[in-house]
Amino acid sequence: MGVLKKELTSLNKDTLEEDNMGDVNDEASQSELESESEEGEDVMLTEPSKNSIYNSNGLLEKLGDISWPENVEWIHKLSIDISQEQEVDVNDDLARELAFYTQALEGTRQAFEKLQSLGLPFLRPSDYYAEMVKTDTHMVKVKGRLLAEKKNIEEAEERRKAREAKKISKEVQAQKLKERAKQKKEEIESVKKWRKQRQQSGFTGGDKGDEMSLPFEDGKGFERSNKRRPGVAPGDRSGGKARQGGGKGKKGTENKRKSRDYKDSKFGFGGRKGQRKQNTADTTNDLRGISKSSFSGNKKRKR
Amino acid sequence: MAKKRKHIETQPSVPLKKDESSTQRPKRTLLGWKDKVEEKEKDSPIFKNREKVLVTCSRRIKYRYRHLMLNLVSLLPHCKKDNKVESKESKGATLNELVELKNCSSCLFFECRKQKDLYLWMAKSPNGPSVKFLVNAVHTMEELKLTGNNLKGSRPILTFSTNFDKDPHWKLLKEIITQIFGIPKDHRKAKPYHDHVFVFSIVDDHIWFRNYQISVPHNETDKVDRGGLDKMTLVEVGPRFCLNPIKIFGGSFGGPTLYENPLYISPNQIRALEKRKKAGKYAKKIKAKTRRKMHEQSNPLEPDEFADMWKE
Repeated sequence: MGVLKKELTSLNKDTLEEDNMGDVNDEASQSELESESEEGEDVMLTEPSKNSIYNSNGLLEKLGDISWPENVEWIHKLSIDISQEQEVDVNDDLARELAFYTQALEGTRQAFEKLQSLGLPFLRPSDYYAEMVKTDTHMVKVKGRLLAEKKNIEEAEERRKAREAKKISKEVQAQKLKERAKQKKEEIESVKKWRKQRQQSGFTGGDKGDEMSLPFEDGKGFERSNKRRPGVAPGDRSGGKARQGGGKGKKGTENKRKSRDYKDSKFGFGGRKGQRKQNTADTTNDLRGISKSSFSGNKKRKR
Repeated sequence: MAKKRKHIETQPSVPLKKDESSTQRPKRTLLGWKDKVEEKEKDSPIFKNREKVLVTCSRRIKYRYRHLMLNLVSLLPHCKKDNKVESKESKGATLNELVELKNCSSCLFFECRKQKDLYLWMAKSPNGPSVKFLVNAVHTMEELKLTGNNLKGSRPILTFSTNFDKDPHWKLLKEIITQIFGIPKDHRKAKPYHDHVFVFSIVDDHIWFRNYQISVPHNETDKVDRGGLDKMTLVEVGPRFCLNPIKIFGGSFGGPTLYENPLYISPNQIRALEKRKKAGKYAKKIKAKTRRKMHEQSNPLEPDEFADMWKE
């Protein structure tokens, strides 16, 4: 072994300085080398400044020793060489993984072409069931995780859409309210104009050839519908929407309020007329309806 | 059953036997398959890959690395898993004996030091070269982000980046890897179809390993439709690791050092350097204080003209 080493050292053409270690034991050589390298370095190494062994002839010899014969068919080796076009930065994870992926893809394409030309079956048929490297239970977990991720993404999407839709609907609502207000204003304005016009033309009735056909002269005035809606008082001009916010919390007092509301809506504010006082200034002194000898009335009433 | 079917189908595709060369292929001996080739053989119809790998680890190995080892065992059907090896005394001799005992031709030895660093030895037995790697960036197959799956025992397609042909030491590594990770064609436990691919590429003087499952839409087993190759997708199966070659030895677990990686710094050294960086903090602070004091003494300030302004 020692003789061989000497031969190799003499033949070494490498540019790096070669360190002649006489020992065979790898542990001793390793420790010695480390101590040598430590005195060679003071700082973290970034360039190969150490004295390190590079025995290319020995390497090639060993390569010749172990390699299979030259003309072994490719099918035994199944190895493909793919060239890396550009230098990949190690720290950029995405680029690195992409480089590996493209290498694998290219490799499989070439391999499949070769296999196809050899005529061997290499694609798995759909009914071929055999033991896989990962168990079925594990694959179920994987599937569960994938589904959960998908669901999370979809939920996030939906939430975002709902938020945007709410924004939009708020805008649309604002628009609608504006429209309504504008409409109302316009109608009032048109009434005013009509009045002015009529005033100007001296209240002559039945104007023929009246240019302005005003929208409310159709012959049909504003008619309140005779329908009585239970939650709405008869004198209510808001269309029944004024009391809408109060329908949430119905407790004890609210129930009483509810019957009050109901009565209000039927009889207007104040209740049934029959339960009320009915005298006016004129009828207080009207004693028509009272018989003289009737003591069945109220005793407290003064006669 | 599947194996039988494959056998029948591949019979006609084996190339015709040419004249065998004068030197007969060396016979298989108990110590494994000796492949000292004296002269070139024209054709090797009786070439049989009888590679067998022994996979062991040292004691006090961490769970993550143990899982990695088990993953590799499941990926390589031509391997034999053995018990843990005591790593104190000369592990070289014990491992060599073990390999010979188990009738294997190569060995993958996972050595875990300080429960933090994993070293991987790849060795060819009995007198082949051996390599020691430092393993980084380990992701096992059990991680749920690696969603692919492949047949247990199917032969992988090995892809290497062309950097492997640039230097002799990379060439040697490529050969070792091809022999260890390539499953023998007619192995008992090998499944017939090729549905996964190994990627070995050299980036930043490290060897990166990836394992992808091939999914291509196909109807028949022995050819792909014309557009099929373009629709091929790869899903990662795992495991993933990154190898940093430390040394290459001429013998198995020993022998003369043929190559040493100049850029390699052992993890112990890295940790020591980090600690030393932090260690000087207090001393530096004291030094800085004394320096400041000296500086102030040697360059005294002019008396402040407003110093007496607020004095009573």
